[in-house]
Amino acid sequence: MRQRAMWSAVLVVGLALAGCGSASDSGKSTSSDGKLVVWDWKSGEPFAKSYLDKAKADFKKKHSDVEVEFVAQPFDQYYTLLGAAIQSGKGPDVMLFNGGGQIRDRVDALVPLNDYVTEDKQRLAGWEAFTKDAKIYASPVTLQGYPIYYNKAIYQKANLDPASPATTWDKFTADCTAIAKAGAKCFALGNKEGVGIQFWLSSLGSTTLTAQEYDAWITGKRDWQSPNVKRLFQLWKEAGDKKMNSDGANSTAMFNDSFALFQSGKAAHVMGLMSDVGHWQDFNEFLTPEKLGVMKAPIVTAGTTPSLPYDGGIGYAVAKWTKDPKMAADLVRSLSSADALKAFYADAGAIAADTTIDVSQAGPAVATLVSELKSGKPALHVALSSKTLDLMGRLSQQLLSGSITVDEVVKQLAASDQAG
Amino acid sequence: MPIGNTQPSVRPAQAGRAGGAVVTPSAHRKGARPRRARGGLRAERYAPYILVAPAVLIIVLLRLYPLLLGVNFSFTGDGEQNGTAVGFGNYRELFADPLFQTALGNVGLLVLLLPVAVAIPGLLATFIYLRVPGHRFYRSVYFFPAVLSPVIVGAIFNMLLAFDGPLNAVLSSVGVGPVDWLGDPDLAMFMVVGVHIWATFGMALVVFLAGFATLDAALLDAARVDGASLRQVVWHVIIPSLSRTIQFVFVTTMIGMLTSMFGLLYVMTTGGPEGSTYLPEYYIWIKQGQMNRPALASAASTILFMIMLVVGLLQIKLLERAGKED
Repeated sequence: MRQRAMWSAVLVVGLALAGCGSASDSGKSTSSDGKLVVWDWKSGEPFAKSYLDKAKADFKKKHSDVEVEFVAQPFDQYYTLLGAAIQSGKGPDVMLFNGGGQIRDRVDALVPLNDYVTEDKQRLAGWEAFTKDAKIYASPVTLQGYPIYYNKAIYQKANLDPASPATTWDKFTADCTAIAKAGAKCFALGNKEGVGIQFWLSSLGSTTLTAQEYDAWITGKRDWQSPNVKRLFQLWKEAGDKKMNSDGANSTAMFNDSFALFQSGKAAHVMGLMSDVGHWQDFNEFLTPEKLGVMKAPIVTAGTTPSLPYDGGIGYAVAKWTKDPKMAADLVRSLSSADALKAFYADAGAIAADTTIDVSQAGPAVATLVSELKSGKPALHVALSSKTLDLMGRLSQQLLSGSITVDEVVKQLAASDQAG
Repeated sequence: MPIGNTQPSVRPAQAGRAGGAVVTPSAHRKGARPRRARGGLRAERYAPYILVAPAVLIIVLLRLYPLLLGVNFSFTGDGEQNGTAVGFGNYRELFADPLFQTALGNVGLLVLLLPVAVAIPGLLATFIYLRVPGHRFYRSVYFFPAVLSPVIVGAIFNMLLAFDGPLNAVLSSVGVGPVDWLGDPDLAMFMVVGVHIWATFGMALVVFLAGFATLDAALLDAARVDGASLRQVVWHVIIPSLSRTIQFVFVTTMIGMLTSMFGLLYVMTTGGPEGSTYLPEYYIWIKQGQMNRPALASAASTILFMIMLVVGLLQIKLLERAGKED
């Protein structure tokens, strides 16, 4: 027994010594010559096939001898897996990212692409979401925006004019009262994951914050104590208190229960997306293009102009450990080439980053969205770190349940925002 | 225990190394104590270690070493500080984080709810053992949820407990207002634990039924003849006779609650509302995957490991004591 104890002691000490300082290494490459490995969460799906075929064909023209392997990861574990890859310094050469916090938190592991993508700068939109400190880390594939969709049929039922939705917040709340009388809720809201507040913030940001405040927010100079910023959270609380939202918002999943509520006509409005899910093509299953409207954000603060909040949605980035960054960057460019993006728009129902694509076939809602891209601005929530967004999600649930004040919310968010 | 017929535990090794010249297998069979050569003695002494070496190596390389790396890693920083030592910085951050405090508080809540989780299968098993009408039917029905994956169970209860779901519809038909089962921070954790118990009590029930199989029926008959009520039978006959089974179920249920709630949490509440249903496991997953804080996640993992270690040691003590009583 004593001997065994001694042996285990020796073992533990030995291991402890061996363990020191080797927890994280970086800068190793796994890619063999003539092969590029790409990680994403799209390539396994049927709608991505023609997009990938086009992108691969484009890349083949430049590097005919290089093989490209796409590895589709499950989205709910994507960043966990990627985190492990980054930690070990081994992984794919090219990887797909969501714009905003998810890529900005991980730029340590990426190659700046500024020198490689100069030719694409004009053709594509949405670069800001993939940029940190003036360095571009990914080429945008889709644009993600946060428009307010409305159900024209419910407007008619409530004796409202579907062609001219409210332009001011007061008129909007009055409309909502009429909608409530017609038996529908004003907003379909799913805030189980705490994402509802993000859409709220961005959808109403342009008409609540002044233009200066908005631009300062995007560049990182956020004044959380400003009355207009507080107003955004007050409105959120008021909408909850006045029962404008669908019932049980804190236990309703945004994806896709809240969108289902909107589609099935139980709520008149939803703050949705432009690409991937919860958007014009998704709703088409039940809401025909004629019934689906897109409205500008109603004006909350006098003197503001509504603009469509949007950013680069997803984009491909190059890992630091890849052997030939130039080659990997060429692949990234092929994945954002005009032909490939056209296929992505047509099959996946996304607003592609290439704004020259013709979308006139997809119905009035899409035409409205694309026409608003020019005057659009980056979305407010995308500028926040994932840590602050996570906190904001929980605080927004507390606001809805009434267990916290707006002042306390902005105080906590300001602390989290300044910490990093 | 037969004496004088002791066989060496590692006969093949000894026979092989000693060359069979000194000791023959037949000598063993006759029970004669062999004269051991020094080489044979040494071989015999090291043989157990050699034999367990592969298993130990696997455990050391694949379990202990990564564990130590993880602990080591928890003392380094994240992001720009990747790889540099930060001392107890991660641990300080953890204990200052209200979310992690909630997660630890929920572990305490699970421990408090443990008696309920054991009592339910215990009582139901008792009823089945006492042959209530339809006991055969109940025996199979009770076990059924145990074969479902937590994801499926979570999805089913998500629908049942939704604000506009069937449970609230039933309640409103009897005039009780709708309850936001999964959206109320005071309720949500109890709902998740309740669903977890519902989904897993079948296993404990089977263990209890196995325990009942060893119960002396004469004792029950005697109690009945003496006019004991059902409560008295349960309290004075069944519980004392099944004490070891009950302790075993306590241990396994505790482990189950602390280690396999992730799937349910992920599907039913995603840690919410207001972060009220976080458990350390879920916290670790969020920090590592969503927040890109692997070192902080390592620190949280280390704390979870410590908790499990303490709980595990307590349980071993408990089982040892139960073993001695027998």
